[in-house]
This record gives sequence, C-alpha cells and structure tokens, in this order.
Amino acid sequence: MTETNPSPAIQLDDIHLTLSSDAGEVNILRGIDLNIKRGETVGLVGPSGSGKTSMLMVVAGLERPTSGRVEVASHDITDLNEDKLALFRREHTGIVFQNFHLVPTMTALENVALPLEFAGRSHAFDAARDQLDAVGLGHRLEHYPGQLSGGEQQRVALARAFVTEPTILLADEPTGNLDGHTGEAVMELLFDLHARKNTTLLLITHAPALAQRCSRVLSMADGLIASDAPAA
Amino acid sequence: MTQGPSTISSLTLAWRIARREMRTGLKGFRVFLACLALGVASIAAVGSLSEAVTAGLMADARYLLGGDVSVRMQHLPIEGEQLAYLKANADQVSSVIEMKAMAQTDTARTLVELKGVDSSYPLVGSVETSPPGALQAQIAKQDGVWGAVVDLGLLTKLGLALGDLVRVGEATFQIRAEITKEPDRVASILNFGPRFMVSTQALPDTGLVQLGSQIRYYERVSLLNHQSAPQFMDQLQGQFPEAGWRVRGPDNAAPGLQRFIRRLTLFLTFAGLTALLVGGIGVLGAVRSYLASKTSTIATLKCLGAPGGLVFQAYLLQVLALTLVGIAIGLSLGAALPFLGIELVRDHLPVAPQSGLYPFALFKAAVFGVLVSATFALWPLAQARETPAANLFRTNVVPVTSWPKRSYVLAVLLGVVVLGALVVFWAEERRFAYWFVIVSVCTVLLLRLGALAVMRAAKHAPRPNTAMWRLVLANLYRPGTSTPGVVLALGVGLSVLVAVALIQGNIARQVQESIPDQAPAFFFIDIQPHQVADFESQVLSVPGAGELTRMPSMRGRIVQINGVPVDQVDINPSVRWAVNGDRALTYAAVPSPGTEFTDGTWWAADYRGPPQISFDATVADGFGVGVGDTLTINVLGRDIKATIGSLRKIDWRTLRFDFAIIFAPGTLEGAPQTHIAAIKAPSSAEADIERTVAQHFANISTIRVRDALEAASRIIQGIGAAVTGTASLTVLAGIIVLAGTIAAAKSGRVYDSIVFKVLGATRRQIMGAFLLEFSLLGLFTGVVGTAVGTLISWAVIQQIMAMSWVFLPLEAAVTVLSAVAFTTLAGFFGTWRALGEKASRHLRNE
Repeated sequence: MTETNPSPAIQLDDIHLTLSSDAGEVNILRGIDLNIKRGETVGLVGPSGSGKTSMLMVVAGLERPTSGRVEVASHDITDLNEDKLALFRREHTGIVFQNFHLVPTMTALENVALPLEFAGRSHAFDAARDQLDAVGLGHRLEHYPGQLSGGEQQRVALARAFVTEPTILLADEPTGNLDGHTGEAVMELLFDLHARKNTTLLLITHAPALAQRCSRVLSMADGLIASDAPAA
Repeated sequence: MTQGPSTISSLTLAWRIARREMRTGLKGFRVFLACLALGVASIAAVGSLSEAVTAGLMADARYLLGGDVSVRMQHLPIEGEQLAYLKANADQVSSVIEMKAMAQTDTARTLVELKGVDSSYPLVGSVETSPPGALQAQIAKQDGVWGAVVDLGLLTKLGLALGDLVRVGEATFQIRAEITKEPDRVASILNFGPRFMVSTQALPDTGLVQLGSQIRYYERVSLLNHQSAPQFMDQLQGQFPEAGWRVRGPDNAAPGLQRFIRRLTLFLTFAGLTALLVGGIGVLGAVRSYLASKTSTIATLKCLGAPGGLVFQAYLLQVLALTLVGIAIGLSLGAALPFLGIELVRDHLPVAPQSGLYPFALFKAAVFGVLVSATFALWPLAQARETPAANLFRTNVVPVTSWPKRSYVLAVLLGVVVLGALVVFWAEERRFAYWFVIVSVCTVLLLRLGALAVMRAAKHAPRPNTAMWRLVLANLYRPGTSTPGVVLALGVGLSVLVAVALIQGNIARQVQESIPDQAPAFFFIDIQPHQVADFESQVLSVPGAGELTRMPSMRGRIVQINGVPVDQVDINPSVRWAVNGDRALTYAAVPSPGTEFTDGTWWAADYRGPPQISFDATVADGFGVGVGDTLTINVLGRDIKATIGSLRKIDWRTLRFDFAIIFAPGTLEGAPQTHIAAIKAPSSAEADIERTVAQHFANISTIRVRDALEAASRIIQGIGAAVTGTASLTVLAGIIVLAGTIAAAKSGRVYDSIVFKVLGATRRQIMGAFLLEFSLLGLFTGVVGTAVGTLISWAVIQQIMAMSWVFLPLEAAVTVLSAVAFTTLAGFFGTWRALGEKASRHLRNE
C-alpha cells in the first residue's frame, strides 16, 4: 500500500519568536508558516539577523517559539520538555554546525557513535565505523579532532549527523569555515548522503551556488519568509 | 519516540563519557585535587594525632596514676581506718607525698617539687636514673645523710654535681643520681620546679611537714586480680562517703592533661575543618572553571540527544572520581604526617603518643571530604546541566549562571545541613561546633551577598568619564565576571589570615605583657601561723622591700552550686577551671585596698554569722549565680555551704594578690592553714629578700614570679607554635584557592586583553584597569575578612583557650593590606602574562 498525502517533514504554523534582553524585547520570528515535504532539500538564505538560525533552532527543538506550532517528522514538538526534545533529536534530527563542534576528548569513531550510544543502540561503534568509511575517513577512526584538518572534522560531523539515519538534517553554514575546495567536497558528500538516505535537508548558507543546489530556496528578511521558490 | 537506555545502562553510558572526558588527564584539576587533599589531610592528621596522644595517655594511665587507683588528700595524710581499709582491700599500697619546697646551697636556692616516696614506690613502671641503680638504695640514709635523686634542671640551676649536698628545709641531702625517667611525673602540666625525690622517712627531718602546709598526700593502690578500678572506687566511696579525698582511676588519670589535650584537639580539629571549608571553596571554583571550559561540549552532547540528566551524571562521575583521588592523596598524607610529627615533637609532649593508623580518624576525614566535594560541586554541575544546546549556534558561548533546578538547590542545602550536623555530632564541645558551623555558613553567605552588592553598585554607579574607570566598573559586573569567585576565595582566605594573625598576636601578648609593672617579685607559701610576725619583720627589714601582702590560705573544692552537684550544672567553659580541682581559699574581715565590687556588700569586720563568701564576679557569671546564691565548698572533708554576699571584679593579669573565694570571718579560722604572702620589690632587692627568707625560714617556699611566668610562657609559646603549624595548613589552602581563582579568570582576561590591544588600548591602560579592579575587590573583602577573622579569633582565644582577648588593629591591618597586595600582584602577573599571549591564536576561528 502506498502512502497518500504523506505528512510533511517540517511544518511550522504561525511561528513567532520574541526574545527579551536588557535592551527590551526583540521579535526574531514574526509569523513563519512553512511546509517542507520529506526528502526535500531547502536552502535558507537571507541577510544576518533575518532569523535564519533562529528558525533552524525552532525546527531542531533548540528554541521554543513564543507562539505557533511546530511539527517535525509527524511529531508536535511545540510543548515538549527538554529531555523529550533531546530524545526527539536523537531519533529524528541530525545537525551540522559551521564550527563542527566535535567533542575534543573523543576520537572520530567515538564522536560518530555518540548519538547511537545515547539512543541505546547496540553495535553503535560498528555503525559509526561504517559511516566514517562512507565519508572517506575509515583510516582516521582513532584520531582526535585536534589531529584532523577542518575538512576532515566537518566530514566527521557529517558522519555523526547521518549515523542515526535522521528524518531531517539541519546544517548551519556547514562550509563557512572551509576553503572553497574543501567546502565543495563537503557539500558533495552532504548531498550524496542525502540522496542515499532521502533525508530532508534544511541548509543555511550565504553561498548562492550552494543554495541553488537545493530543490527549493527560502529567503528570509526581518523575521519573515520573504520568498519561497524552487531553485533556479 | 524510544525512551533510550535504562537507568543502569544510563550510568554506564555516563561513565563512558566521563572516562573519555578525563583523557586530558588531571592537569586541569590540580587546584581541585590540592584543595581537597589538603583539607582531608588536615582533618586526618589532626584526628590521627589526637587519637595517638589519647591512646598514649590511656596506655600510660596506670603509669601516670602510679597504680590502678590513686587516692589523694590535701593538707592531711590518709591514715587510721582509711589507710587500713586500703591495705586490707588491695594488693599493694604505696604512699607518696608531694609539696613545693626550697632547695638551697650556701650560695643559691631554687624552688623544687619535693616528692617523698615509700619502699613500694613505684607500683607501676620504674624510676630510671643516671647512674642507674636501685631507687631505694639511692634515697636511703647512708653515713647519716639522706639521699636524693633529682632532675637535671636542679643541678644546672644550683650549679651542682652528683655527690654534692643540698639543704631542703632543715635536712641535708646528698644528690646521688639524676632522674631520667619518672613514670608518674606527667600528671601536672605546670611544674614550676625540678623534681627532688627523697624517701618519705626523710621528710620529718626537713621540718616541712606541718599542719596546714600545702602538702598532697597520695596512696596509690594496685588492685587484686578480681577487682576493677570502678568497683574499688565505688566501694571506697560507699565506705568513706565523707572522706574528702579525691579518688582517680585510669579513666581520669591526669585530668588536667586530658583537658589540655582535649582543648588542643578541639582547636586543631576546627583548624582542619577550616582548611577543608576553604578547600571546598577551591573545589567550587575548580569545578566551575572546568565546566565553563566544557560548555561547548555539553551543548554538543545535548544537540546529539543527551538528556540533561545524562550530562549531569557524566560530569558528576568525573567529579566523584577526582574526589576519590583527592581523598586518597589526603588520607595518605594525613595518615603519614602524624608519624613524622610525633617523632619531631615526641620530646615536647607530656605523654608518649602511640604512633599508628587510626581508621576512625581517617574515616571521618574521608566522609568530610566526600561531603564537601559533593556539596560544593553540586551547584555548578546543576547549572551546567541547564546549558542550552542552542548555545552552539551562538559565537560566544557563555556558561549558565542562573540558579539550577529546585531539586538541586535542595540537595545542596541538604549537603550543607548534613555537613554541619556531622561537624557538631563529632565535636568534643558541641557549643563551639554550633558556632563554627553558623559562622562558616554566614561567612559564605555574607561574601556571596557582598559580591552581589559590589556588582550591583558597579552596575548602577554613575558612568565615569575615563575609559579606564569604565573598564574597571564593567569588569566588576559583566557576564562571566570573576567578582563572585574572587570575593568568596579572597574573603575566606582573609578571614583565616586575620584570625590566625589575631590569635598569634593575642598569644604573644599574653607572653610579653604577662609581667605587669605592679606585679609582685615573689610569692611565699607555707608560712606557718606562728611564723607570721617574724616573717613580716624579717622581709620588711630588707632594704628595698616594698609592699607586703599576706593572707591565710587553705585549699577546698567547689562541690555544689545552689545545692546542685557541679557536674550537673551547665557551667560556661571559660570558668570551668574553678571547679576542676582545688581552689585556694582565705578569709578576711576587711577587703584589701583597691577591691572593686560589682554587686552586694562586704560583711562587717566583726561578722560571726552563717558562712558567707565574697566571690569572683566573672566566675559567678559563668556559674549563673549571684548575690544570695550558695556554693558548697569541701574543705578537708567537710562540706561548707556558704551564701554569696558580694561579687568582686578580679583582673588576674595584674597578678594582684587576690582570691576567687574569700570567706567571712567565723568559718575557717579553726581549719589547718598556712599563710601566703606577696612582696613587691625592685630587682636589686630580690636576691637579698630570697636569701633572708631561706636563711630564717627553711619551710617557706619562694616562688619567683618571673620564673613562674616564664614557665607559663613556654607553654603558651608551645601552644602558639601548634596554632601556627596548624593554621599554616589552612593558610596554604587559602593561598591555593586564591591562586586557582585568579588562574581560572585568566582565560577570560587573555581574550579581553587581546581584543583591547587590537582596539588600540595601551598595555598601561589594560594593566591599570585590572590592577584597580583587584584592588577594589581586595579592599572590600578586606573589611569583611577582618570582621569575620576578628570574630573567629575572639572565639578561639576566649572560648577555647580561656585567655583574655583584645582586638589588635595593627596586626589586622597589616594582614589585610599584605593579602590585598598579594592578590593584586597575583592578578597583575596573571594579566601581564595574558598580555604577552599571541593575538592571532585567539582571534582565529576554530
């Protein structure tokens, strides 16, 4: 039986995010409505301060919206508590950061195995080994982040993000700290993994070329989605 | 959603993460380990040392007692029916007589502790002499001359050698040997003169054994196999309830010594606890600093799906693992230090400690170590648990500074309560323990609130015109400021330093100021009633002799307060001395000149009514009594219930001739008594006065005030050395904590100073701001530290050591300013090094 009208991978309904500071309240997101289908690749562009990262954090369950509803992978995560959000993330999301954020005291293998260990999966290290092979780092399993180049670190981060076979992959400027050649290689890897696992990809980038590789490009400005169109 | 691993496997996972995190080794935990180890070592060492000394005391109890049971009478010998009973009901009985006397040659004289022993002495142990020999042979009469064995100190003082002759009273003795070991000697901690041991049969020849003389008669008893000391003592009490003697068993063989050891242990224990408390501050700072460096990692783990609880467990396990390491180091040091310490001070201790491992002392230290570590680490761990995963999306990752969840706050409070309860439960003196806990908690709270006050004041201060002052103020309250940590560490450290300085200053003051200008030159004791007139005439005829004061004297014990036995009365510890042993009593028709009354009135000169006394006002306050209340005093076996008619203010430091208890006429005149006198004289007349008394009154003992005070000073100086030694551990802990706090703030300073440099600030501007910041913090905490340290020193000097206390502003100021200067310099060097760091390393992205 085929699935009709499959639920979206990401659905945001009238999302508002207001943060308080000493300087007063700041409206970060001012009514976001978004629907991303499973398997889509979505590029998120916009000037600094437009709310791109905040929207990503809302989708990842790392920031609770002031109002609105967040549904990710058919789960309403709007009102989940911290621990339930952590459980949700380990099952359904993978995140890749601009600054890699590998744990410096753990080897590449251990870094990749971590989310599987948190999920209590057996054979976590076998799966981690396979994933590192897939990103071409099968020969660097026991190396620490400090012993890896920037590109290698980001590949480890990619492996870590994909090892749980997440429903959604969120990437915040994954090539921002890499030179052009290395960044290109990392992006190739990212899209290749996406294709193999049909993961829904939401990607923040300042590189137009990278955004154009996505099937859809969202442009944000002043906390709102200014445009939403297929990639050219 | 799947729930993830079970609790057990969650702990296993947490431990796996903890182990990986500890791969960098212990480098980042030097301060943590040092603070914890030092605190645990202090408590373990103090506990082990006190148990070693107590064990030595218990092991030597029979030796100190001179038998299984010791019976003592003052003024009168134990004889007749009482002596017969002892001999009939014990295995062996040995008679010993002790008194003060003057030993003199033709050219010199000195006070000695005269001891007459019978043929059975000693019942326990043996007297060792040089040259070795049988004691009884050495002190027997040979060629018409009695023998004596003496302390080396006597030979030195009088310039004598073995075989020389020396007079005591009317008798001449030949010094036949030097005493190298006297098994029952350490019963009294304050022995003014060297030991002079003779046969009891020789004492009548001295003419010193007279009615009313200050003589202590002992019958030492060794029991039959089937008897126990408590049983025998009960039987004795039942057989002779009105005997008026003091009976001691092994449990209180040397009560004065036991009290001294207990007091010293109390002080040392609290010094050790202070070191541990300071260490706890160090643990807090070290854990906070470590977790701040792990903020990114914690956020990463949370992004990857680790629940807050798992993160908390992982870092808690790290802290616990390090706690075990720190405790192991501390216990090793704490167990080893007493072995070393005992060997260094063995000759100076009044009893031979028993070196060994004392598991309970080590156990207590370990328990305190775990509790302190867990309690102080819990807060920053709980804060770290709340690190938002979203932090990773922000470029400047800052640690969480808000309060943790309520359950963790309650857990910290529980830890504090349990710690405080254990301190009190395990303390010898609960009252001081309560104060210690209260002062500790209040100090930490005060410093914490003080830090908040400083930050608030800086935040709301008017905006300065100069950039440097703006920088200084901003540094005091900005997010991630080191103000709370520095104020707490510096405040606790300063409190300890000021307390130690004031304690040492007060002890030194006791020593240096102990001879007031108007102190007598001599006290004379054992003046027989029939000698009074002649004595006064002879002494006052010496050129230069000044004011002579003389009063009758006898000994008695306070046995009841308002009809209640003294051991059932809650007596202030500072005046407990008044019921510990006999007190000197006198009677007088008129008060001596200069008497200061605080309540009541003196009796009429011809008073002949019911027994009435004039009492020391301070002691009365400590007893909780006043005019109209009664004291029951046992004098030579007779209980005398007397009403307090007046209270007098007595300042013992002036060495004014005075008595805590003065009876009205009509009660004590008929009791056996001697007279004591005091004379003021310039130092130029002292030798003549002493010679005159020695030549005419062989039975009168002369106590040179200076000698007595020097003996007391030596003991006080010894106490001072113990205070310094123990306090130095606490001070060391304080320095480590302070250094750790400043080092922890260094990373923030490195970044700040580099950015300032990039923006064009000169090194002078940056250094100036940091120096000002540290100076401001130092001065503020100096005020708080002085207040707390002053309170602590008062408690130790007045409540524990029962000495008078004064505030020494110079000592306090010097201590505070030195510490502030040290802190400022430490901050200076830390910042100077930071300014030398390469900018590129810190400005480049990861």
